[in-house]
Amino acid sequence: MDEDEILGYVTAYLKKKGFKQTEKVFQEEFQQNKSSSSSNSILEPDIANHLLAFSQLENGPARYHNGYSRLRTWTYSSLDLYRHELLRVLYPVFIHCFMDLVAKGHIQEARNFFNTFREDHEMMHLRDLQKLEGVLSPTHLKEMEFAHSLRQSKFNIKICEYSYELLLQHLHSTQSTTILGIINEHINFQVTSGQPSLISDDPEAVTLTGSSQEAANQTNQKEIHWGLLEDSLEERLEKAGALLSDSEKGDGEAKEGENDESKKRSTEVGKQGGSVKKIKKDKGGSATGKSAKPEANTVSAAPRVKPELPLPIIPTEVEHSILDDLRNRVQLSSAALPSVSFYTFINTHNSLSCSSISHDGSLVAGGFSDSSLKVWDMAKLGQQPSTSLSQGENDASQNEQMLGKSGEKRQYTLFQGHSGPVYAASFSPLGDFLLSSSADSTIRLWSTKLDANLVCYKGHNYPVWDVQFSPAGHYFASSSHDRTARIWSVDRIRPLRIMAGHLSDVDCVQWHVNCNYIATGSSDKTVRLWDVQSGECVRVFVGHRGMILSLAMSPDGRYMASGDEDGTIMMWDLSSGRCVTPLVGHTSCVWSLAFSSEGAILASGSADCTVKLWDVNTSTKVSRIEEKNGNTNNRLRSLKTLTTKSTPVNALRFSRRNLLFAAGALAKNA
Amino acid sequence: MSVIPKETIEVIAQTIGITNLSSDVALALAPDLEYRIREIMQESIKCMRHSMRTFLTADDVDTALALRNLEPLYGFASNDPLRFKRAAGHKDLFYIDDKDVDIKDVVEAALPKVPLDTSITSHWLAIEGVQPAIPENAPVEAPSEIRKTEYKEDALPVDVKLPVKHIITMELQLYYEKIIELCLNKPGSITFRRALVTLTTDSGLHPLVPYFTRFVADEVSRSLNNINILFSLMRLMRSLLQNPHIHIELYLHQLMPPIITCIVAQTIGNRLSDNHWELRDFSANLVALICKRFGHMYHNLQPRVTKTFLHSFLDPTKALPQHYGAIKGIAALGSRLVRLLILPNIEPYLHLLEPEMQLEKQKNEIKRQEAWQVYGALLCAVGQTMHEKVKTFSSLLSPPIRATSRGDGKGMTVKSIKHKASSVNLMLQPQYARRKMAADGGRSALVPMNSMSVDNMQGSTSGFSNMMGVSNSNIAMSSSSVRQLSNENTARREVEGQQWKEASSSILAQAWKDEIDAGQLLQPLSELFGESLFSFLPTHATSVFL
Repeated sequence: MDEDEILGYVTAYLKKKGFKQTEKVFQEEFQQNKSSSSSNSILEPDIANHLLAFSQLENGPARYHNGYSRLRTWTYSSLDLYRHELLRVLYPVFIHCFMDLVAKGHIQEARNFFNTFREDHEMMHLRDLQKLEGVLSPTHLKEMEFAHSLRQSKFNIKICEYSYELLLQHLHSTQSTTILGIINEHINFQVTSGQPSLISDDPEAVTLTGSSQEAANQTNQKEIHWGLLEDSLEERLEKAGALLSDSEKGDGEAKEGENDESKKRSTEVGKQGGSVKKIKKDKGGSATGKSAKPEANTVSAAPRVKPELPLPIIPTEVEHSILDDLRNRVQLSSAALPSVSFYTFINTHNSLSCSSISHDGSLVAGGFSDSSLKVWDMAKLGQQPSTSLSQGENDASQNEQMLGKSGEKRQYTLFQGHSGPVYAASFSPLGDFLLSSSADSTIRLWSTKLDANLVCYKGHNYPVWDVQFSPAGHYFASSSHDRTARIWSVDRIRPLRIMAGHLSDVDCVQWHVNCNYIATGSSDKTVRLWDVQSGECVRVFVGHRGMILSLAMSPDGRYMASGDEDGTIMMWDLSSGRCVTPLVGHTSCVWSLAFSSEGAILASGSADCTVKLWDVNTSTKVSRIEEKNGNTNNRLRSLKTLTTKSTPVNALRFSRRNLLFAAGALAKNA
Repeated sequence: MSVIPKETIEVIAQTIGITNLSSDVALALAPDLEYRIREIMQESIKCMRHSMRTFLTADDVDTALALRNLEPLYGFASNDPLRFKRAAGHKDLFYIDDKDVDIKDVVEAALPKVPLDTSITSHWLAIEGVQPAIPENAPVEAPSEIRKTEYKEDALPVDVKLPVKHIITMELQLYYEKIIELCLNKPGSITFRRALVTLTTDSGLHPLVPYFTRFVADEVSRSLNNINILFSLMRLMRSLLQNPHIHIELYLHQLMPPIITCIVAQTIGNRLSDNHWELRDFSANLVALICKRFGHMYHNLQPRVTKTFLHSFLDPTKALPQHYGAIKGIAALGSRLVRLLILPNIEPYLHLLEPEMQLEKQKNEIKRQEAWQVYGALLCAVGQTMHEKVKTFSSLLSPPIRATSRGDGKGMTVKSIKHKASSVNLMLQPQYARRKMAADGGRSALVPMNSMSVDNMQGSTSGFSNMMGVSNSNIAMSSSSVRQLSNENTARREVEGQQWKEASSSILAQAWKDEIDAGQLLQPLSELFGESLFSFLPTHATSVFL
């Protein structure tokens, strides 16, 4: 309310009541006051300006810039021993300074600040920086999921006691309250006593998992039954003793070593004082390991678990053919590399968006950006296709499609039904069904026997990036842009489970060998393992620096490999949740990963037009030994690089007999 | 503030009909526009990844727009990456090069071909880990492969050889240029002579050898009419040949043609004024030097050279200087070749040459002079051969027993030739036999002869005793012939080259006959050449033969 207004009201009130004397005195007094206050008011704005200027100095954008650059110089000039720990603090401080600046509306200053110090973090966090770069107004900050989650959650930084002391001392002595505020607000220090950690230790501190570190740790403490299914075909085969050939015996020693190792591991875990559950679990593992016969192969050394899902029964004739395949399996090792058969798609006009190979390599499916799905039967490809009359059973349009316009028969079966690019395709284990997922947010089930669409599964709200049949068939998992992964069974049109938790798109999905778990890779740079029965997240694997594009599970169920868009492949130990070893070598996106049937070799197909073969055994063993020595210098063994002629490798599949199939589209301008 | 200038916003506003957009609004919109664009691009990159591509297409952007319930962009439908052009004068401003097309052209144009349908081919990328070399697979030595070898495999270090780039240092380049300049411009100067000395002795010249040989080859063909340059080139060559640090044999194929050209070229320099005979002599010696040094390493070297010479010698249509060169060349290669190649042909050749030499028949002064030169060369070659021949005898010849020993020797050797011939036929290992003889020397050479004679018991016993009984001269003769043979070991192949038709045994017989006939040859030779030949022979030998 204005002063004059009040004055008006007061005088009006006095007049009304007839307090004439009082009114006079009031007026007089008011005049006096006015003159004196005017003299006062000469001084006041000055002080106010001072105060204002001071507060502006405190609040101004420059203090972020100065504070950060001071911290940065101090960090870079700190002792080598502690520097890398202190450097980890810089990144969170940097992005929060930037976001604070934006939030306060100092856009220009925020830009300058960002561009000045951006280079420091480009190596580690290029993609995040690219995302943040576009944030130009406070509203963007609120809108953008990534920024939102950054603001909401705290960074976890492991730091040794001494470094922590150093940091605090520095901040107090320089009185950089701004920075101190940011650190208090957004960084959660885990102060450890003793020596500073090693540089190579982990980049964990930089990836958000959406929950506090404690929660994530707890997640990773949960029990996992990574063992194989009881009464699997392999086991039956061994019982039958069919694998007991001379060549097998030669491998006996190595396998025994493996068993010993698992024993050692279990005792080790026991000493470390892990959770009771863990010990129990590992005991279970080693017990089965002990009981395993020396001639058993690596796969059988794994513990056995019961399926948590009711699994379909395999027809006997199929079982026989699988057993036959297993008997005739080629033993692969670092010395005996697989043969690779390559299927090249030609004349795709850059429209091939996914490809898939059936388990026996006889069927190849290609999903195209024109919504079509095409399936080639490689067994029939060489022969002249016979005109079968049984086609009449299918609808007329199918028949029309089968015949090309020129009247000659197409080499492939065309499946039409989707209304957007087909992003994934997956054959059922027996090859009689095919699943495809598309940008139209549906998943479709096709029969390769009838050449027709059977079911359309609607449930996701956004493009479905990946779909995969479970190893036993019947069930399948899908992952989508809507940040969920879902479990389905072929006979229901609604999902059975929805796995939510990823902070960004779920880009790929992979079943565990025992069908009790699925792994999902996401654009939030994490891989999660989910329990199919409960729908809970049981592991979070942190370490990738880009979106995860491909996943693979080792046949013994113990390891998982994941490939990202930078070309890095990481091998994870499922039970510990730790990265066993990073496999570095690819220069571009790793589209596809595959373990050989007995798990000795990992094949990776990449956009850099190569298929690389990695030695799994030495990779895992060496790093374990090094881990014991406290030396985490993970050296990795790449066995062979097979270069294609400008064909990015989209799909890989080891057949049951260990023949490797690869597929990709010839790119002339690649 | 934003990377998008407010002018852009104003232009966009105008396109949708807002003309009075205040600059404040434009300024406020610009950062938001940038943010939206970035957001869309991020989504499109996701779509690109899921389409398993590494380049962005308009489709990806459309899909990303669809994710946000936005209308797609029309008019960019193409599966190929768009071709952007850089705007002139702007560092990071690009535009799509869209050409104006007349609608009539489009309508009237013939229908484009139906694009080929997608299909699959299969091939073996690897068989048990090894990539087969089939056209479907990338070539192993692809450049991309080289880049990747660094971290390729711990177990299999791959040694990729890069194409060698020949780099010569600045100093060598300067040196080369200086030598070339001297060679072409100041062939007679002292500096050039000094340069030749450095060429003979310097040990660091190997990188320049290919350049020198190339230079000589080019220059010889270019300046055939400049004898001075040719001479300096040949000197340069000789210096290089004499340099012990250079492996010049690697460039022989390039060297030989220019040198031989300098010997048997039809015209070198000015026919009248220049003394091209000297150049031919010099080059002939050079060839002889090369053959002597590298003949044992490159077996077809000398045969090819002699073939060239013989060819020009026996061709009557060739000019006389060419004949001269050929004779000189053969003579330089040794008396053995003279005996083999020149002596059998000397009589008919002299018949041809004679008319050219006579004043009354050949009126052309120059031609007559040339003929005389050829005659001189011929005489010289034959004379030297005879001289060498006689020298081997002369030390042993003593007049009293000469006559008998000759007779016996002749009879004896004829027999042993027969033995030898038969033994060659039997054993089919003439090389071996001769090598053994050469190795064992003259004295033991008798032993194989002896053993050979066992084949033919009857005649040989007498022959053998005879042989042992006769004078030293006989032994010496056979030993000398053995030595001759050993010398011929290297020369043997070109003998074969020349007289391929004859069996090796008959060649041997011929060789032996030549030996025997040396004395007899003297007779017709002296008839042909007259007194002039005797100057080549030691006096006492002359007297003996006559």
